[in-house]
Amino acid sequence: MREMTDAIRQEIQDMIFDYYADECEIDKDEITMESNPQEDLGSDSLMFVELIEMTAEKYDLDVKLQSIGKYMLKSPMNTMKDVVDMICKVYQYGNDIVNL
Amino acid sequence: MSNFKRAFLFNGIGTKPEKLLRAMTPAMVEKYRSYQHDGFVRLGLSENISENASMDKIAAEWLSSLISDRVIFEYYIEKGIIPDIGMGHSSGIVSVSACFGSVSHEFAHEIIMMNRATMRSLEKSGEKQDMGTIIGLSIDDVNELIAENNFSTDDVIVGSANSRICTMISGKEETVEQLLLAAQEAGAIKVIPFRIGLAYHHPMIRKHSDEYVQFCGGGEYHDPKYPVLSIFDQRIMTTGADLMLENQINILNPIRWDIALKHLEEMGVTEFFDVSANGAVGKFSRINKRKGRIYTFDEV
Repeated sequence: MREMTDAIRQEIQDMIFDYYADECEIDKDEITMESNPQEDLGSDSLMFVELIEMTAEKYDLDVKLQSIGKYMLKSPMNTMKDVVDMICKVYQYGNDIVNL
Repeated sequence: MSNFKRAFLFNGIGTKPEKLLRAMTPAMVEKYRSYQHDGFVRLGLSENISENASMDKIAAEWLSSLISDRVIFEYYIEKGIIPDIGMGHSSGIVSVSACFGSVSHEFAHEIIMMNRATMRSLEKSGEKQDMGTIIGLSIDDVNELIAENNFSTDDVIVGSANSRICTMISGKEETVEQLLLAAQEAGAIKVIPFRIGLAYHHPMIRKHSDEYVQFCGGGEYHDPKYPVLSIFDQRIMTTGADLMLENQINILNPIRWDIALKHLEEMGVTEFFDVSANGAVGKFSRINKRKGRIYTFDEV
């Protein structure tokens, strides 16, 4: 398991907000932790997959989409906070996220 | 040196007209409205799509995608962006046939309207069909699930392998539902039932598609201005006869969009232009980002 620090969490949050602002063509300032990725920002699941792959590449993670998909059954993402939490868990646990 | 550097990618149906319009500039919307008016009046459809009767309403929505493609295509051409080759996903084949001048836009509209004959035949038969998309699983993952769950390929198949993370399935409604559920349990990021009552790209649609196929073969086809790559066997099509056959076999056969895209990359294509207004093709397509890029109209 990788260690999660406040600095890394902030870095991940910034990366995610930048990504959604860019892809959804909205100001980063308009995105809050309470924003709903689909309804408020107009994102979709393919965008989320891209985010996972981007994260995996940035942090050199070996993670299968199916592991994340199985985890999502237990922990659905309704807000940007959920997305940040999810990506932080991907960073920390990789494929073991499925066992959480 | 390859002669193929720039490919235009045409989307199939499936996007709501309001989403297409939202992405367009005011000038594009005006053009769209004009084409829609001419087309819908000629076909006896209401421009207020919700006012059309059930099957007309579906056909009208699908026509909107075609009209939108035409507007975006013409935008690229006006900007001096000329394709070396094109490719169409599902009904994107109808769209590319019209935009590349192989058939008239009027005939392309009529092809889309002929889907109503397939819907009527299905309704009469009482068969329940559907399609769906699985995000996060590849064609191999889905084929494994089909085998593991003892589903018959007579009941469900992969109708289109769009990319390694986006797979479309097609078949009997009940089996499509069961496979979507199995995919979710296997770790798909998202599963989306289409609920359109049709199993395009599964051979089971064949017995309801005689009129459609016959109609596709009855129009006037010219050689396209630019070549088109087949999404079924990756051959380069340059004649009207090629395009006629592609339109005829389109809804009856499974698509390998992923392989066709890879083939374009191998041919030397590095610039891919998404002809859908909302960037749909770019979203479900995957290309090697080190070798090429998919552009949308608002990026040029």
